[in-house]
Amino acid sequence: MIVEMKKISRIFGSAYALKDVDFTVGSADGSGEIHALLGENGAGKSTLMNILGGVLPPTSGDIFVDGNKVEITSVKRAKELGIRFVHQELSMFNHLRVYENMFIGEELTKSGLLDQNKMIQMAEETLTNLGININPRTVVGELDMPSKQMIEIARAVRTKSKLIILDEPTSSLTNKEIQALFSIMRNLKEQGVNLIFISHKLPEIMEICEKYTVLRDGSVVGTGLIKDVDENMITDMLVGRKIYRGKVEKPKVPHNPCLQVKDFTLEPYFRNISFELNRGEVLVLTGLRGDGRAQLAEALFGVTKVTSGQMLKDGKPVNLKSIKSIIDSGIGMIQRNRKERSIIPDMSIIDNLSIANYVAKHKKPLINFKEEEERFRKNQAITNIKAANPLNPITSLSGGNQQKVIFSRWLEIDRDIYIMDNPTQGVDVGAKQEIYNIINDLAKKGKSMIVFSEEYPEIYQIADRVLVLYDGSIVAELSRDELSENKVMYYATGSSIRKAANK
Amino acid sequence: MMKMQANLKDREFKLSFADFYSKYGYIISFIVLVFIGLYFNKSFLSINNIMTLLVQASVKGVIAIGLTFAITCGLFDLSLGSQVAFIAGMGVVLYNAIPSIPLTLLFMLAFGCVLGSVNGLLVAHFSMPPFIATLATQAAYRSIITQLGAEGPFEINRAYLEQFRVVATGSLLGIPYMVWIFAIVAALGGLVLNRTKFGKYVTAIGSNANAARLAGINVKGIKTMVYVLTGCMAGLSGFLLTARLTSITAANAGLQFELDGVAAVAIGGSAMSGGRGRILGSFFGILMLQMIESILIAAAVPPFLSGLVKGIIIIVAVLIQDRPSSR
Repeated sequence: MIVEMKKISRIFGSAYALKDVDFTVGSADGSGEIHALLGENGAGKSTLMNILGGVLPPTSGDIFVDGNKVEITSVKRAKELGIRFVHQELSMFNHLRVYENMFIGEELTKSGLLDQNKMIQMAEETLTNLGININPRTVVGELDMPSKQMIEIARAVRTKSKLIILDEPTSSLTNKEIQALFSIMRNLKEQGVNLIFISHKLPEIMEICEKYTVLRDGSVVGTGLIKDVDENMITDMLVGRKIYRGKVEKPKVPHNPCLQVKDFTLEPYFRNISFELNRGEVLVLTGLRGDGRAQLAEALFGVTKVTSGQMLKDGKPVNLKSIKSIIDSGIGMIQRNRKERSIIPDMSIIDNLSIANYVAKHKKPLINFKEEEERFRKNQAITNIKAANPLNPITSLSGGNQQKVIFSRWLEIDRDIYIMDNPTQGVDVGAKQEIYNIINDLAKKGKSMIVFSEEYPEIYQIADRVLVLYDGSIVAELSRDELSENKVMYYATGSSIRKAANK
Repeated sequence: MMKMQANLKDREFKLSFADFYSKYGYIISFIVLVFIGLYFNKSFLSINNIMTLLVQASVKGVIAIGLTFAITCGLFDLSLGSQVAFIAGMGVVLYNAIPSIPLTLLFMLAFGCVLGSVNGLLVAHFSMPPFIATLATQAAYRSIITQLGAEGPFEINRAYLEQFRVVATGSLLGIPYMVWIFAIVAALGGLVLNRTKFGKYVTAIGSNANAARLAGINVKGIKTMVYVLTGCMAGLSGFLLTARLTSITAANAGLQFELDGVAAVAIGGSAMSGGRGRILGSFFGILMLQMIESILIAAAVPPFLSGLVKGIIIIVAVLIQDRPSSR
């Protein structure tokens, strides 16, 4: 099967998510291929695949399957054409059995009743054919992540899909599981099935794919055969030659560690993470999705427990028992995903600001409204919160102002070290700059910060030093002088690892 | 720009209107009820009648105050009625052995704390859904006390009866003790919910438990304490009930108190999904339920239908309050 997408555009609001994208996968002679689709977050990969998978209609452009023009108006239509989208968040029914999942919505019946034996037998055939060793009668909830992933692929194969889209299938798999997945992918290719492989990990792409297409800002910036390119060339395509206005000067931070993290490990997310944080330093940890950063950020604040490792603050071990014990040791944290992890929607702006103070500092038996209002006014002056009435619910504020309240929540309790996970998520451009200023001012006052971020312009605005993560390990440390987007991307895609392995 | 500002103003006005409605909507219903009451009973607003209503309301009232904390925290307690029966029955046994009122009160409060902490353990530490956990303890507590009381009701020994009755019949400055107790508990409840860290934590957990945890709040500990508090209020309710009845029938005592409690909390404008608690609302809520009961009697409605009326009231109260703040 050959699928050609021609001049595909998609507009959200007034912005182009995709502009005149041409994308071809497969070949007319019926042999299969594994095609890598690359791009930074927001480059348009998901939009393009959603159009191909029938989730979204394109604003303009045509799709041809084996030379015939088709309209993919729904997921069902895509399936009829033999196109199957295996999403990163698996859509499995955990309380149902493997074969039931494989036949969901397409159950076989015999005289009005489910024909279980037939379904089990067919599921078994498909699984064996793919070399997957799982009993089709197993309840899916009892299986681990990789097995579920394999079932999802088997489900696609069973319905005779000719094109399977795999959206970052390896992000939660161990190396061994990845190899198992790859052998299934190769197996499928031999049988004439085409695969689109979305991944941020260049070593994997180099290993398994023969073609690639790179998207940047909604356009195709490169496509061709993998054997004609190397990691550096792909990195350049991913990043482009962007120029950043407003050069930011930051003085060197002297070596004076206030926090030492030693051998933090939580499999399969990250392992042997060790670093030092200096007083007055903004240390940025970056990488691409699936690198274990989210779990590392949580572990540093005691939200999840590490299996091994320790943390020293000013030379003394930090008690990692609970979030409260870490707060008490002098660490605060601004969480990612504000709506789910920070905002208390039914409470007022004042209460949302004061809540960490209640936890960490408030000692009097009663809360005094006057005091809390003064607390708000004081912080309003520092973080420039625009609010009509601080007794209004916090949800009455814009995203940027909500985030400033959350910043104030933690700045108010005056910790020495702040962990910030994606601190400008869901914040408009103006408020972003204000938040960068707050971060840089804090550093000047001697506060130390660990910022988790994946936006290079943001990293450039605040970082004194950058640690790049790949697949749960720190692969590079870049000082401010060495910092460039190409370098960050080179390490974040794991290219250095492959280089080393090849030598 | 101008247009945007105008929109902003509209939004704020709407917000504050919704706020007012959910905060004080019950006062409108209260006034309506008073008029209906006056229609059936000319002396509805007499001091005597008001005091009777308040005394009757106080037994369930303290339950409603405790339940307000649980619901604000996103929890629930179906076992309160059974707790009341269990505690009251045991309290009578103790009082007959050692006829000291302060000791009996202390025991009932403490026993309530223990029963509540069992719920807390199940919900907070074993992560059971509150409905299931407290449904189980509801059955268990009632079963134990019914078995213990199989030979007849728990009755206060006649020799010490009068001094216990004083709790229900005595008054200070013309206001019955029971009303004092209810009013003080409600005032303290309001103070704790709105003016202490504990109250803020309870509200924060009910609103967004994840954010509360990430702000450093000990969510499990607070949930357990909420159940201890509701249990303690069940203990107080058991004490007041014993004083009023002087005889506790295990199978009936405190039956469906949780229903009246939930109805009161709903009428009072607390959010059933948690995050917004109104103690004063619950105070008026339970009072209104008592008024309705009294009106139903005055209007000669068959007593079996009072459950129907309460059911309808809960449905209406929740429908009204969730309109403006629907998220």
